[in-house]
Amino acid sequence: MSERAVAINLKIPDNAAYTALTTLQRLGVDVTRVERSEILVVDFGGDDAALAATIERDEAIFNPNKHRLTVLDARAPRPGEVWIAEMGREKRYIGWRLIDKVGEPASLAALRMACTRLLCNPAIEKATFPQ
Amino acid sequence: MKRRIAVVIFPGTNSEGETVRLLRDCGGDAHLVHWSRSVTLPEYDAYVLPGGFAYEDRIRAGAIAAHDSMMDHVIDGATAGKLVFGICNGAQVLLEAGLVPGTGEVRRPTAAFTRNAPVPHFVNAFVWVKLAIAPSRCRITASLPEGALIPAWSSHGEGRLAADEAHLREIEAGGHVAFQFAHADGSVDAGAVPNGSALGVAGLVNREGNVLAIMPHPERDGWTFNHPDRRRGDDILAPSGGAVLFKSFVEAVNQA
Repeated sequence: MSERAVAINLKIPDNAAYTALTTLQRLGVDVTRVERSEILVVDFGGDDAALAATIERDEAIFNPNKHRLTVLDARAPRPGEVWIAEMGREKRYIGWRLIDKVGEPASLAALRMACTRLLCNPAIEKATFPQ
Repeated sequence: MKRRIAVVIFPGTNSEGETVRLLRDCGGDAHLVHWSRSVTLPEYDAYVLPGGFAYEDRIRAGAIAAHDSMMDHVIDGATAGKLVFGICNGAQVLLEAGLVPGTGEVRRPTAAFTRNAPVPHFVNAFVWVKLAIAPSRCRITASLPEGALIPAWSSHGEGRLAADEAHLREIEAGGHVAFQFAHADGSVDAGAVPNGSALGVAGLVNREGNVLAIMPHPERDGWTFNHPDRRRGDDILAPSGGAVLFKSFVEAVNQA
């Protein structure tokens, strides 16, 4: 068994991500696209395909008509992404991936600004940034 | 002199109808103000943020609304000393906007009304809330008697006050706990708290005493028809216990 991370995101339009985008832009964050994922950290013994198949069979967390699943290489945010977890529930995150004006993953500074201004309430949430 | 009260409507607000009706029944000159009319907000003397799910609670309850242009005017008004009263989702917006407990910077929340505990659940229940401060500590409660016990309806999945230990101590020591959940006899203990809220908090007030945020809905017990002790033959539109907080608010607005 090893600890693995998967990202589930919508393949239909994500209204919450769009609202986050327009609000972040209003707050002065350099961003042109926001992608939102639910990040689950699980203990699993098989390979990526087996893990994906196991999660895709669970109708409580995955609907093939609207969701897309990605098995992540590591338990860490991807470039341009910050993971937000409620304190005490650190195996379940919301991943916010920000893309800047030139189409590149947002800088760490932009991610920190987005968290401070909107994405993370430090009273109840913890942010994990890419290394 | 009657002063004008704006009942602020964000996309997703759903309790504006009963809120504006009860304010009017209590003698207030209350008006609904949609988000598309936010530029008119400075013309009003006080603001009420009603319950609902502003912006569908995207990101967190109240987080997007706290950055809406409507809130620019509400924050300016609160800073200038106008009265601001938030109920349920309105209370969540005020926390996210940093107006209550008001111990940090504006729009930098130091606490949250978050997911109920110990098991996440939606509370939909009749409750009592007890005034936990001297009435004059908050201008909105100034007309209430000491230790006033107010009936209300809790209707939330995210109403538990949460903050780190240092901020909770600051909230308690600073006299920011305006209302606590209570039993019908007025006693206060953990058994009266339906959502795991820290310090048993049902409502918070800012340092200046002009901004009040309360999670349960007193307006839903504003008339007898929604009160659990109502009996056959009662006048269903008679004022009920929840109206007293609204009357106190309207009196404070008109005295300002």
